[in-house]
Amino acid sequence: MPKLDKRAGDVLIWLLLLSAPFWLPVAGSYVELGTRVVVFALAATALNFLLGYTGVLSFGHAAYFGLGAYGTALTIKLLVASTPVGMLVGVVVGTIAAAIIGLMIIRLRGVYFAMCTIAFGQVFYFIAFQWFSLTNGDDGVSAWHREPLNLGFTTIDILNSSNAFYYFVLAVFAACVAAMAFLLRSPFGRTLQAIRENERRARFLGIPVDAHIWMSWVISCFFVSVAGTLFALMNNFVDPRAMRWDQSGTFVIMTVLGGMRSFWGPLIGSAIYLVLQDYISSHTENWMSFIGLFFVLIVLFFPRGVLGLIGRKVAS
Amino acid sequence: MTQLVLFNVFNGLIIGAFYALMALGLSLILNLSGVINFAHGGFLAIGGYLAYSLVPYLGYWGALLVSPFLVAFIGILVERVLIRQLYGRDPLYSLLLTFGLAFMIEDGTRFIWGAQSLPFQIPGWLSRPLSADYFFLTGYRLFMMLLVTAVVAGLFVILNYTRLGIRIRAGTLDLETVSVLGVNVRVLRNLNFGLGIYLAGLAGVLAVGMLGLQPNIGDNLIMPSFIAIIVGGLGSLPGTLAGGILIGVVSGVTTVFLPAASEAVIYVMMAAVLIVRPRGLLGEEGRF
Amino acid sequence: MSLLQVQKVSKLFGSLVAVNDVSMTVEPGELRAVIGPNGAGKTTFFNLITGFFRPTSGKIVFNGDDITALLPARRVWRGIARTFQITEVFPELTVHENLRIPVEVASGFRLQPWLSRDDDAKVRARVAELLQMGGLSDKAPRLVGELAHGDQRSTEIMMAIALNPRLLLLDEPTAGMGEQETFEIIQLIRRLHKDSKLTIVLIEHDMRVVFHLADRIMVLDQGKFLAEGTPQEIAKNEAVQTAYLGKAA
Repeated sequence: MPKLDKRAGDVLIWLLLLSAPFWLPVAGSYVELGTRVVVFALAATALNFLLGYTGVLSFGHAAYFGLGAYGTALTIKLLVASTPVGMLVGVVVGTIAAAIIGLMIIRLRGVYFAMCTIAFGQVFYFIAFQWFSLTNGDDGVSAWHREPLNLGFTTIDILNSSNAFYYFVLAVFAACVAAMAFLLRSPFGRTLQAIRENERRARFLGIPVDAHIWMSWVISCFFVSVAGTLFALMNNFVDPRAMRWDQSGTFVIMTVLGGMRSFWGPLIGSAIYLVLQDYISSHTENWMSFIGLFFVLIVLFFPRGVLGLIGRKVAS
Repeated sequence: MTQLVLFNVFNGLIIGAFYALMALGLSLILNLSGVINFAHGGFLAIGGYLAYSLVPYLGYWGALLVSPFLVAFIGILVERVLIRQLYGRDPLYSLLLTFGLAFMIEDGTRFIWGAQSLPFQIPGWLSRPLSADYFFLTGYRLFMMLLVTAVVAGLFVILNYTRLGIRIRAGTLDLETVSVLGVNVRVLRNLNFGLGIYLAGLAGVLAVGMLGLQPNIGDNLIMPSFIAIIVGGLGSLPGTLAGGILIGVVSGVTTVFLPAASEAVIYVMMAAVLIVRPRGLLGEEGRF
Repeated sequence: MSLLQVQKVSKLFGSLVAVNDVSMTVEPGELRAVIGPNGAGKTTFFNLITGFFRPTSGKIVFNGDDITALLPARRVWRGIARTFQITEVFPELTVHENLRIPVEVASGFRLQPWLSRDDDAKVRARVAELLQMGGLSDKAPRLVGELAHGDQRSTEIMMAIALNPRLLLLDEPTAGMGEQETFEIIQLIRRLHKDSKLTIVLIEHDMRVVFHLADRIMVLDQGKFLAEGTPQEIAKNEAVQTAYLGKAA
């Protein structure tokens, strides 16, 4: 896509995101949906760092998402009633877990790597479920809430004002997304894409492939755990479902739906998926079948995603 | 004390045989076609539900016989219509597809048979304990063990002595060569998938006799199957068999000493294997 | 000191002997060709030198150091670069990007999350230089996957050059090419050899390429060393003719 179009696209997206609390109600929707979209968009973009740019499939990202969420919830509830501290703990826990697990599975590839990510995802779900004394099992961690941000000179009430919370989430999203874009445009980012394109060739150019994949994995899980912290704050609640395999699958389908090879694909995918899910589940009890059918149809007929389709139209 | 240990080891063997049955089906499909069949648990559930519906017409034994074949047939259709399209592509897509299928199957079974647990009656004489001393040795558990052993033995006979089996094994090693030798790879994959699903369906009929019938019955069994494959060895069927039994037994023994950890221990085993020997106990080098 | 010394290497795959006790010494600045009928073990031989496999026995010494046990990436760092029989490039990236990546790796930037303006300019200058050398300047913004086979091969060769290697291994560089493309690749290789004083070892089937370029030729047959010498000597060698034309002759 020519540079001008790309710039215009970026500007348009940011304009829409910045003005969302104003046009969402007009469109018959509500700010909370926008917040939800941004949180999941962050998770999906984080996944895409690994999947679309490094070419490595993880179907267990919900584990680190969930660790971010639980870390935040438990910290605010049990330790320090502070949003930033809660988020920090969540991110640290999620990232360290990812770093360790990454070391264990880094020598695997393809379907076997994916299988192990699924299995490890399940480990954390299981822990969240079983460690009742800490996590309250299936009932989840409740009776806590996000704390207003005390900046010294002023306090931002992200607890009671949905709009304020939306902008807070958007700010975190912006910082994370900027960092990821920055990394992807650097020599490091190009090395990752080289690995995606042709692992053998990358190896024979002297690139230590395993080490790079591990780094990409850790970075990806870092940002997904940030999304997890926002998820907990958004709901003032977290339960094991945040870590389940269907959550991981949701991240993947959002990425694929929007277009894996593009930076904004996951955001688009997240928006479409959540709007669709919202609509379907309010109209029928069998929303699970429809979501499943949706997955099947995307894979069969729409694998390059929305932005993949648009990209091709421009080329022709 | 010995009785307790024996009980748990025996239990572990049964559970392990179960995991192995599921895992073998998964492994067959994974090795030949490179597809992670997320819907495997769903097919297991269908096996159980179909058996439930067939019992009034065919009796328990009839349902046990027929249901897995029906499920295999459904599997063959699914492979033909949906999964076949995806072989040339990134494994991501087949995983997403089977994932979506899993959703549809779970919801579908809920829709057809309801979300409530359904009672599943096994023949009375099977559920009685065989002896007063060894109360845990019910006829049903023994029967399950024997049946699974017979089926697994049958599977290995098929794989080693029939044309189909030999082609499956060859195809797992080198599909391109096999197709160049004139074997119809499409049909091979299709039948292989059917075989794997047959095992899932059978596991389903057996499982509901022990665990009862509800829509998400497959969920709990699919993860240990994954771990059985990882522990036992990627690309190796004997490995998967060994892996399944091993995790079942270890889990059973752990129940004696540390009941809370009995489920966690299989995850620990997986982690240990990945650190020490990533290709698994009997896995072949270079499969990944 | 010789640049590369391959000492009596063998490679067995189970009971199949792919390479049998082969030795080769390459001096700096040489252009050596390795030829032999199909199945002679030439590519396996390359794979041993570049570290794709470990030899079952034997030693490989590069620039005075024993590299027999080194992993491929490490050998690249020591200065051995290669191309493959089936062109291995980055198909969905542009030619510019394909070249930029090895340049950044060679400059030590592969882990860096940013590039200063100076460094960026240096990288771009080097990429432009390589594009020119390879005759690819006008194709720079195109996706490599969309280029003609010959241009893909040129890209691959220039990617190897971008690493500033001391030894360049080319595995059948003209495989599958028509007259014009073959000519252009020969020109490119000759330019690289003369201008950069690069040591090159190439596997080739096309005898015109071999005789046009090589200083010395080594012949392998069924994994074993058969003959070595100048092009003229090899052309007259009866054993070589027999190997190629079959024992019936």
